[in-house]
Amino acid sequence: MDREKELRRAGWRLVGSASRVHWGWIVTSLLAALAWTATKVTIPLLAAAAIDKGIVGNDTQALFTYVGLMIVVGAFQAVVSGLRRYGAFRLAFRVETDLRQQLFAHLQRLHFAFHDEAQTGQLMARANTDIQMVREFLMLAPLTAASLMILVAITFVMLAQSVALAVLALGALPLLNVAAARFSRKMGPISFQLQQELAELSGVVEETVSGIRVVKGFGAEELQVERLVTEADAVQGQALAASKLRSGFLPLVDFLPAIALAVILWYGGHLVIDGQMQIGQLIAFNSYILMLVWPLRMSGTMIAGASRMSASAGRVHEVLVTDPHIADPPKGGRPLPEGGGEVRFEKVSFGYHDGAAVLDGLDLHIRAGEAVALVGPTASGKSTVARLLPRFYDVDEGRVLIDGADVRTLKVSDLRGAVGIVFEDTFLFSDSVRANIAFADPEATLEQVRRAAALSGAADFIDDLPDGYETVIGEHGFSLSGGQRQRIAIARAVLADPRVLILDDATSAVDPSKEHEIRSALREVMTGRTTIIIAHRPATIALADRVILIDEGKVVAEGTHEELVATSDRYRDVLAHSGGRAPRARRS
Amino acid sequence: MSFGGPRPVVEERLDREEATQLLRRLRRMLRPYRRSIALAIGVLTVQTACILAGPLLVRRGIDKGIKAGDGAVLNQSALIYVGVALLALVLGRISIMVVARVGEAFLRDLRVGVFRHLSTLGLDFFEREKTGRLVSRMTSDVDAMQELVQMGLTAFVQNILLFTGALIAILLLSWQLALCILVLVPPLVLATRWFRRRANVAYLEVRDRVGHNLATLQEGLAGVRVVQAFGQETALTSRFEETNEAQHDANVETARITVRYFPFVEYLGVIGVATIVGVGGWFTDQGIVTVGTVAAFVLYLNNLFEPVQQLGQIYNTVQSAGAALGKLFGLLDTVPSIAARPDAVELPPVGAITVSDVSFGYGASAELVLRDVSLEIAVGERLALVGPTGAGKSTLAKLIARFYDPRDGVVTFGGVDLRDASLASLRERIVVVPQEGYLFHGTIRDNVRVGRPGASDADVEDALAELGILERFKALPDGLGTEVRERGSRLSAGERQLVSLARAALADPALLILDEATSNLDPGTERAVELALEQLTDERTVIVVAHRLSTAARADRVAVVDAGRLVELGTHDELVDREGRYARLFASWSASSVRL
Repeated sequence: MDREKELRRAGWRLVGSASRVHWGWIVTSLLAALAWTATKVTIPLLAAAAIDKGIVGNDTQALFTYVGLMIVVGAFQAVVSGLRRYGAFRLAFRVETDLRQQLFAHLQRLHFAFHDEAQTGQLMARANTDIQMVREFLMLAPLTAASLMILVAITFVMLAQSVALAVLALGALPLLNVAAARFSRKMGPISFQLQQELAELSGVVEETVSGIRVVKGFGAEELQVERLVTEADAVQGQALAASKLRSGFLPLVDFLPAIALAVILWYGGHLVIDGQMQIGQLIAFNSYILMLVWPLRMSGTMIAGASRMSASAGRVHEVLVTDPHIADPPKGGRPLPEGGGEVRFEKVSFGYHDGAAVLDGLDLHIRAGEAVALVGPTASGKSTVARLLPRFYDVDEGRVLIDGADVRTLKVSDLRGAVGIVFEDTFLFSDSVRANIAFADPEATLEQVRRAAALSGAADFIDDLPDGYETVIGEHGFSLSGGQRQRIAIARAVLADPRVLILDDATSAVDPSKEHEIRSALREVMTGRTTIIIAHRPATIALADRVILIDEGKVVAEGTHEELVATSDRYRDVLAHSGGRAPRARRS
Repeated sequence: MSFGGPRPVVEERLDREEATQLLRRLRRMLRPYRRSIALAIGVLTVQTACILAGPLLVRRGIDKGIKAGDGAVLNQSALIYVGVALLALVLGRISIMVVARVGEAFLRDLRVGVFRHLSTLGLDFFEREKTGRLVSRMTSDVDAMQELVQMGLTAFVQNILLFTGALIAILLLSWQLALCILVLVPPLVLATRWFRRRANVAYLEVRDRVGHNLATLQEGLAGVRVVQAFGQETALTSRFEETNEAQHDANVETARITVRYFPFVEYLGVIGVATIVGVGGWFTDQGIVTVGTVAAFVLYLNNLFEPVQQLGQIYNTVQSAGAALGKLFGLLDTVPSIAARPDAVELPPVGAITVSDVSFGYGASAELVLRDVSLEIAVGERLALVGPTGAGKSTLAKLIARFYDPRDGVVTFGGVDLRDASLASLRERIVVVPQEGYLFHGTIRDNVRVGRPGASDADVEDALAELGILERFKALPDGLGTEVRERGSRLSAGERQLVSLARAALADPALLILDEATSNLDPGTERAVELALEQLTDERTVIVVAHRLSTAARADRVAVVDAGRLVELGTHDELVDREGRYARLFASWSASSVRL
């Protein structure tokens, strides 16, 4: 609970500091709100004067003067009313955009371990819904400020004219404010729940459509319909709950002012009969009551909205104050030493966030220019080795050295420029093939891109794409096969021309019948640089000069493929379990 | 919180004729609810009358009470005012609830009805339509109507009633003064229309750019590891800045529109009051109206202006709900391509498969994918379909499962043409296990049960045990009750495949059609999948769409499909000896796999 309060406070601070920068819009909208309040309160007074002096007093001259004044003041009111909104909207949109930018930039810098823990959906919610909350609050804040001013001003004007009438007329209205706040507070969870139910419902639809082959294959249509009925009933239930809440509140919005108007008619009417008040004033009171409905309603909503907003802002703040664990050493780090990409792991121990040790005193030496295959069963730690070298994570104990320099002493961008990695699950951006390959160096010429593609065995199929290198791929573009994606990912790493190239199961999705084409290309890529290959397929392993068998976080055997096949049971075992594609003895 | 701007609306708009048809059909659908609807309209009318009575009571209080100095009439007027306000309060509650009950029940039935219809449509439909589009039919389209029911429907009717009522009231009170006020209505309506159009365009733009920005954001997050690996944090951040600023600019544009409209309406309101007071004052002087009438006019002005503004905003919701309904009707009108005949028969429990002279193309005029394929599969036989990608082997399997009907030729099971079979018996006898083990939200048990809805827990366990994988799943933290989460993210590809096979074991069909997985399974489960497959296919008629020739080699017979034709048929050994297409495929495949 305390933590939550702390977070809310931090949220307020974040919104405060993000808004302060745009003080011009704040001042504009607040001044405009003040002017608007003044005009808003003045107009009914002018109308009252027109009625009392003009109509009742039979002074046509006064009547038209006051009416003319109303029209002039009204014009001014329109201008400041617009300004008040505009200022608020500009402020809100600006702060929203700034915060989202800041958040994105920060997320880009945060370490791998953070992203491993965080769910993308959660981070999206921070950048989307949470920041939207802040925007909506800021949009309404100056309007609310103006509303409050109106409230105070009208109360004063009414009190000045008749204390008793003001108290009677305004007495019931705070209830509207209370009801609006209560409504908004209760509505929050219900509409959230409704959204959840709707999401569940669309989940069933989405699943059924995506898994239609299973549904049709087993004739399970009725089962899915039943699931949908359950969700549709839940949605109906929540929607009715929301309507019930609404039915308790919305009619009040008309009711409370109506009561106030009746009271004014009755009590004010008697005052007029007794000669203590004029009829124009009575009508002005009516106008004031109508004028108060919106401010009271909105300020109630704002009260509930503010606490939700501060919680949202607090969550954004939480991400923003997370420090990147992987950063340049103080004073920027030493320059990358000259070298051909020699890699050394010295007594390296490492475990991911959950604590279990993945590497346990691992020693490893890869000579400059050498091609080494890391082989091992699932979760043996071989991929972890690949992630420690470019410093995606820092070791718990021991050192990782590249060309003699501890990776932690180097500038991160230098280090990552020297180590190129192709991940197992290839991620491509929704952009052209060319931009994807030239990712590490957007300035690269088409020639360089073509060469990288050729070296990765990707040139042929890229030429066949509808727009060649300009074909847009990725989630929203042309869809490529897993093997094609992997080849583009390899080209991307090749173009960066790193000293050490890591291929982490990078050809696993390539059709075996095509793999030999890539293999010869890869041989060329590998010359002149150190290559670390993590693979299951014997054919891929064969690319390496030397094989290192890793098991339970340690190096257990090394040598050429043939030597290990001949000497290591464990090696044969590991390969046998992963070599599903090698033909087995026929049944018979 | 909302700030009163209209929501973005679907681009589609309805023309008059479509709208008429839509309404006619809607009326038919609403027939079961007609009593509640009549009740709702009645309640709304009385409630509106109560609201409109207020200003009349003020007028009476002023003219007959205050001006006449009659305290009793004044008291009476005020008391009646309180009475009608109370009545309006109660009726308001009732009308919201009645409308909600009808609306939500209608929506629920619509959801279920559309989904039920969707589930009867053939595979061809799902292959034609994009997943996203279908899902949005059931979600955003129905939601558009939900929004109308929740927010707009009552307000829509009530605002029309209010406006009409107020109009009649002021005309009856003083047509002269009413005319002076009504001059203001056309500019108000015009401004509202201008605003609705401009705002709609602007909000669509915002929606577009928000979508774009979110896509960039999502990509930046999903690809953060690649970004960091290549040191492109700054480049990505400035790419995001572009879409982020684009969203900002689109938002500012909406502000510009809003800022023109609302102050203008505010000003019209002031002019309205000024006119009533000025002209009304002059009329009072002439004895045409009373002071009470002037006061009532001031109050009625609200009832004229508010509805126009509100309707301008609700109009969009109504439009998009209408468009959504039209699209849903379109879906409901799609005829299922595969349906049982009225005189459909049960398939025999077991039976041989005969494919005779079958040709097929996707779509009536599309190119043929299969030509004159004839094939017989004996009971208990294991047949492998082999051929390059796109040759037609998967299509052949789909025809045998009657996911499609052949354009020419016949597929029979135990001598019965599949088109004459009841769909229930068809799905019971013939089961297709797709390539990837697709998992639904729910537990492992739920997922296996998809194979035979209604199977007991013991049946599920038996099916798993039969494949020798019961212990493996029982060993999970929650055993068979383990939630597989979305798309089975917690289970490996191999384990998902195992669940999929267990479904087939539970379904226990006479004919099993397997589409072999092309992707790599994790080494840990590959063996288990193989063993389970052995068990599952034992003593059953099996057709396997083989991607690995090792699988083909284990089958009783191999059918080689190329360019839509059956080119070779025989045992593995026979085909290898024949040195034809299959022999060449096998040779090149063997060469690419290095022996240990």
